[in-house]
Amino acid sequence: MGGVSTVNPVAVTAVTDPRAHWLAAATETAAGLPPELALPELRAAARTRFERLGLPSRTLEAWRTTDIAPLRGLEPRRAGTGRAPDAGWLAGLPAGPRVVLVDGRVHAIETGELPAGVSVLGFAEAARRLPQVLAALDTLPGLDAHAFAALNSALFEDGVLVHVAAGARLDALTLAHWSSGDGTAVHPRLLLVLEDGAGAGLLEWQGGQGTYLSTALTEVRLGRGAQLALSTVQDESAEAFQLGGLRAQLAADAKFSLRRWVGGGRIGRMDLALTLEGEGAAAELDGLVLAGGTQLLDHHLELRHAVARCTSRQTFRGVLAGKAKHVFDGLIRVDPDAQQTDAQQQCRNLLLSKQALTVAIPRLEILADDVKCAHGATVGALDEDALFYLRARGIGLAEASTLLVRAFAGEFLDALTDEAMRAALETRLDAWMEVAA
Amino acid sequence: MLEIRNLHAALEGREILKGIDLSIRAGEVHAIMGPNGSGKSTLANVLAGRPGYEASAGEVLFDGQDLLALAAEERAREGLFLAFQYPVEIPGVNNLYFLKASINAIRKHRGQEELDALEFLERVQEKAGLVKMDEAFLKRPVNEGFSGGEKKRNEILQMAVLEPKFAVLDETDSGLDIDALKVVADGVNALRSPERGFLVITHYQRLLDYIVPDVVHVLVDGRIVRSGGPELAHELEAQGYTLYGREAGASRRAQA
Repeated sequence: MGGVSTVNPVAVTAVTDPRAHWLAAATETAAGLPPELALPELRAAARTRFERLGLPSRTLEAWRTTDIAPLRGLEPRRAGTGRAPDAGWLAGLPAGPRVVLVDGRVHAIETGELPAGVSVLGFAEAARRLPQVLAALDTLPGLDAHAFAALNSALFEDGVLVHVAAGARLDALTLAHWSSGDGTAVHPRLLLVLEDGAGAGLLEWQGGQGTYLSTALTEVRLGRGAQLALSTVQDESAEAFQLGGLRAQLAADAKFSLRRWVGGGRIGRMDLALTLEGEGAAAELDGLVLAGGTQLLDHHLELRHAVARCTSRQTFRGVLAGKAKHVFDGLIRVDPDAQQTDAQQQCRNLLLSKQALTVAIPRLEILADDVKCAHGATVGALDEDALFYLRARGIGLAEASTLLVRAFAGEFLDALTDEAMRAALETRLDAWMEVAA
Repeated sequence: MLEIRNLHAALEGREILKGIDLSIRAGEVHAIMGPNGSGKSTLANVLAGRPGYEASAGEVLFDGQDLLALAAEERAREGLFLAFQYPVEIPGVNNLYFLKASINAIRKHRGQEELDALEFLERVQEKAGLVKMDEAFLKRPVNEGFSGGEKKRNEILQMAVLEPKFAVLDETDSGLDIDALKVVADGVNALRSPERGFLVITHYQRLLDYIVPDVVHVLVDGRIVRSGGPELAHELEAQGYTLYGREAGASRRAQA
């Protein structure tokens, strides 16, 4: 983000403490909350955490590559209630059961009849019907030093709990989030709890209009042998700041597959913290980042192998145009007891412009001695020979480039099991190429 | 159909073609033979419009049109086809999809409607039979994991499907065993017609036993040093290019 200098934190503090400013909505938020969601201990701890952390600056190692200076100019307000999502956006969502949130609050739960053992509830109702499940909020490991996760916990007003009882299965559910903009800060929250042997396939779709900050935080707890496939489409508005997080905890033999399509936001950073806590747990993380203009899109990942015989696969791909920047910072930590860990990490980037920038920071901390860990990062332009080959067959430069970008993105798209979603994303990719390349 | 006049071309600032004159009419098959480094592939690449190959002097007319002023894709749409010496592997791009994009780009240029899925598939299947290509290859990514022979067959398949006005075959015989060579030659021969021209570039006479040319040219050091009938190819096979190396030298002195 050249040209924008980092605000001197000392000078700002002298005028007004930004922490107080960011938490100013807390009083108003608290007044509007149903008593079930007052959660005084959780809120107080989160406020304390945020006050201690403050807004991150680039002097912090974890935020060295993410310059959020443009965000400092935003004086986020609490979003007014009762706004409706954009009708066109709503119509473009995949068909099937869904929950729609607007500005972090449940707008509509349209799930129809759910399979036995499956609950999809707004937090207030979850507090009444499944309080012991909802109690997992803010108890999972990870993101302790993430200021925006703390802010989310301090300020979230609502959220969705998806609970799948032992052995039950939820085949498809869309969790759609709309942000109405207007310089607001929104704090969407999802809690996904799958008990032993449960299964679920979920799609999270994030969109919005205008300027806003979203701290969307998702928490995932998988019981023994539970299997969750979560696809996320981050399609926030071009002026948005999306600084969300996800933490997940996997019990023995649990399997978590996460596919992230990331194309929106002025700044879009995702912090992922995964803990493989039971033997045989497996995590598969795939990302496709499409960044153009002056977008800054980041993935920061901490994946902890805490016990033996777990596997993890990470494959993140970036396609960068204009002056965009993509950061992938991935830490794989293998605890001393986590023997026979199999961890693979790949970050591949395709640069469509000479001004685009990619930063890959693969990190391994291996404290066990019988492990298989590999990481790799590649950066390259479109293959000149392939481009010429296509052009020599009459295919124009733009179409040839799109074909090659689709090929690069292909493994990500091909792995999507939902045909309609894959078709929707392919169309989106082509549209993106028309603008970006 | 193809008129090359005093063509000079350079790659990375080094002049490789030093004044080529060549005239090929519709219905004719011309062969260009020459030793390694004589500029054969450069000629093919300059004609097809590969970036980096710069024509520094001369002109090329394709059906009266200034070929060198056109982008690579425009040349292809006008009906020029290059069968690559080294076909490119394109992982992630399906062979059929690629062919369809190609044929429709060309049809669109001609003001024709896009082929529907069925017409397209029938056409490809018919041509695949012509080059004895297993249909399984059609569903694989372009050239990925293909053997040398399979790649060359894929080139001829593309040519057969696209039905160009003029085709340049750049050392299509290199790396082929005799069976594959025959298949490729049969494919080319099946496409010979009074409306279509060919320029067959090869290092060896062998290919020309199967694709019998109307005219053979000898290219040495960026110039055509001799032209003749098909018998010239046999002469070259017997005598090698050494003789022409000297002749080329002599002709340079004669011009000076």
